[in-house]
Amino acid sequence: MASGAAVLNPRRYLMDDRRFVGVIFLAPALLYILLLVGLPFLLAIAFGFSDVTVGNTELNFVGFDNFVAVWENDIFRQVFSNTVMFTLISQVFILIFANILAIIFTQEFTGKWFARFIFILPWATPVSLAAIGWLWMFDTKYSPIDYLLLQTGFLGPKGILSNSRNLFWLANPALSQISVIFVQVWRMTPLATVILMAGLSSIPTDILDQAEVDGSRFMRTLLQIKLPLILPIMVIALLFSMITMFGDMTVVYVLTRGGPVDYTRIIGLYSFQIGIEGGNLAQGAAMALFAFPLLLALALLMLRTASRAEVR
Amino acid sequence: MKHLIRTLMVLVVFAALTFSAGAQGGYAEGTEISLLQWSHFVPRYDEWFDAYAAEWGEANGVGVTVDHVNFTEIFSTLAAEIDAGEGHSIVEVLFSPASFIDGLHDLGDLNAKASEMFGERASTCQAASYLPVVDTYYAYTHGYVPDPGDYDIALWTEAGYPDGPKTYDDLLEGGRAIFEATGIPVGIGMSPELDSRMANRAAIWSFGGSVQDENENVVLNSEETIAAVKYLAQLQNEAMTDEVFGWTAASNNQALIAGEVSYILNSNSAYRSLQKIDEAAAANIGFTSALEGPAGAYASSHVWQIYVIPEYVEGDELAAAKQFILDHSANYSDVTYYSELYNFPCHASTVPELDGWLEEDPWGSQPPNKFEVLKTVNDWSVHLGFPGVTNPAISQVFAESIIPNMVAQVALGEMNAEDAVAQAHERIEEIFADWRARGMVGGG
Repeated sequence: MASGAAVLNPRRYLMDDRRFVGVIFLAPALLYILLLVGLPFLLAIAFGFSDVTVGNTELNFVGFDNFVAVWENDIFRQVFSNTVMFTLISQVFILIFANILAIIFTQEFTGKWFARFIFILPWATPVSLAAIGWLWMFDTKYSPIDYLLLQTGFLGPKGILSNSRNLFWLANPALSQISVIFVQVWRMTPLATVILMAGLSSIPTDILDQAEVDGSRFMRTLLQIKLPLILPIMVIALLFSMITMFGDMTVVYVLTRGGPVDYTRIIGLYSFQIGIEGGNLAQGAAMALFAFPLLLALALLMLRTASRAEVR
Repeated sequence: MKHLIRTLMVLVVFAALTFSAGAQGGYAEGTEISLLQWSHFVPRYDEWFDAYAAEWGEANGVGVTVDHVNFTEIFSTLAAEIDAGEGHSIVEVLFSPASFIDGLHDLGDLNAKASEMFGERASTCQAASYLPVVDTYYAYTHGYVPDPGDYDIALWTEAGYPDGPKTYDDLLEGGRAIFEATGIPVGIGMSPELDSRMANRAAIWSFGGSVQDENENVVLNSEETIAAVKYLAQLQNEAMTDEVFGWTAASNNQALIAGEVSYILNSNSAYRSLQKIDEAAAANIGFTSALEGPAGAYASSHVWQIYVIPEYVEGDELAAAKQFILDHSANYSDVTYYSELYNFPCHASTVPELDGWLEEDPWGSQPPNKFEVLKTVNDWSVHLGFPGVTNPAISQVFAESIIPNMVAQVALGEMNAEDAVAQAHERIEEIFADWRARGMVGGG
């Protein structure tokens, strides 16, 4: 009788409380977000509404003056447009390449693990190091790419592309933009691929088996089964990639510092140049915040799309 | 008796130590200073400096720590340390840190003491450390770096200029002739980086234009500036390649060492690098002073060696930091020597050997008087805010690369010179208005 009572009323431990355990598990992530994302973000807002400089962080409220000044700055409008353009064009290529690679890497073939390892390297390499590597590749005078083009007759006195020995990758307006987009696609594609691979692996095999039994071929299975099923995950991959790219300044800082003229200058870089190098911390902060409403709206839209597309 | 002797000995040692501490500067025991220096372009200088700092610390009873970082990280580190209210006692920057003024100690006393000890200082140094609108010395500039022209003697001799170009007309005529005959271009950067910012300003000043006047009013949009921009665009189109739109801080060095440029504007560091690699090629490099334009011959100093002391430094640490700076200036002969004549003294009296070294380079140049042209450097080397002072607005204009971008737009054929200068003027007016509202820029 006594033992039966013990079974009916088991002793409760703190760790048995699902809500408590939930809070404990979430706490590190929440703390990280609050301290390293939330606080700096609030600080940036405070700076944006003040006249703070690098030498004086006393906050004197100046209303929307900094935001108006940023908006009236002609250079900023080009910088904003560059940022949006680089991000959108990169995402198109990232999406295409990531899908192709995810499909390849979920097939069975010899050396798959080695290929995966090599492929993930651009993402695992520190961004500044990777950018320096590409700076050498695109060097205006000693670019190995130019050397190969020269040897194959594409460059040089009778060259198909140019009669010069160099293409001046980072000095030509169009080529410098292409170079920046190329490096961003190169370094962001692995992450998107890994996310999509996880999505593809999670598709129940019975659905794919059924499709095969029904005579569905590769393209039909891909377009009508696989892609719709991984759409929510694809949107998440895209969101990650877009937000990372929108806020990044390292690639451009190392490759071009925004040049030639303002062709590759983006919000993150311009904000740094004004706020830190130029000393006008308030205006630099206000400029950085201009991206926030756009990114927030984009994130909400994409998460909503992902949620609707989710298979229940 | 033994006890008495032992006590007397202890007293003698204590007295000796106390006296010695007094002689060493009288700082409280445990006083420490730390320095943040940019990694010098001449590595030999850093080796000398580290040893000197340690020696100074021992002699003065002060712990000294020296950290070296890449020059691109200096300003962001200084900003972070001021914001945190802790960090290095002394920070060395390359350009006027006028926008940091509220977070820095007023070094008026140090500058006055230096003037008293060492006499007159070069105007380029004064303008990079004093902000008249608030009557404050926010920094102490101990040195500056001349920015002469480096030219390929063989190429320019062949083109009819054995002493290199003397005027901007020579540069265009000779540079074009060399480019057409050999394909070797002139190398004046037009991109958002340091050397381009300096080189483009030099041409504008020499044509009579400037960003601001003596009273800190924006005057960029002038016939003189437009003429300079047109000249630079023509120079690019006729004597240079598109490489200059992607110029970097390393481009001068790369091009000179590869022998793929006929003329650059640079400190002596590119030449010194070449000298270590190929003495014969280095002997073929000559130097010119600032090129003569319609309104004179001016070139910006390449960089400045500027010491600041953040406001969080106090007490004995502050006193020791100031003494270190003064003693460092007093030893400037070593500074100039070990920097391989890269650092020039702000106070000429501190390096009495300088003229002799320029006549006979102690680091083995051929011919030995290669640097003799630098004897007149104080006549043509100016600062970023010339003819006004280097104020926070000038620093922001510099950081945003407005001037080289303006020039590049015209050289690329995207805008005519009049529109490009007007557009740049408008942006610079906005920057000046913003800093003027903070009370840190005069004029208006």
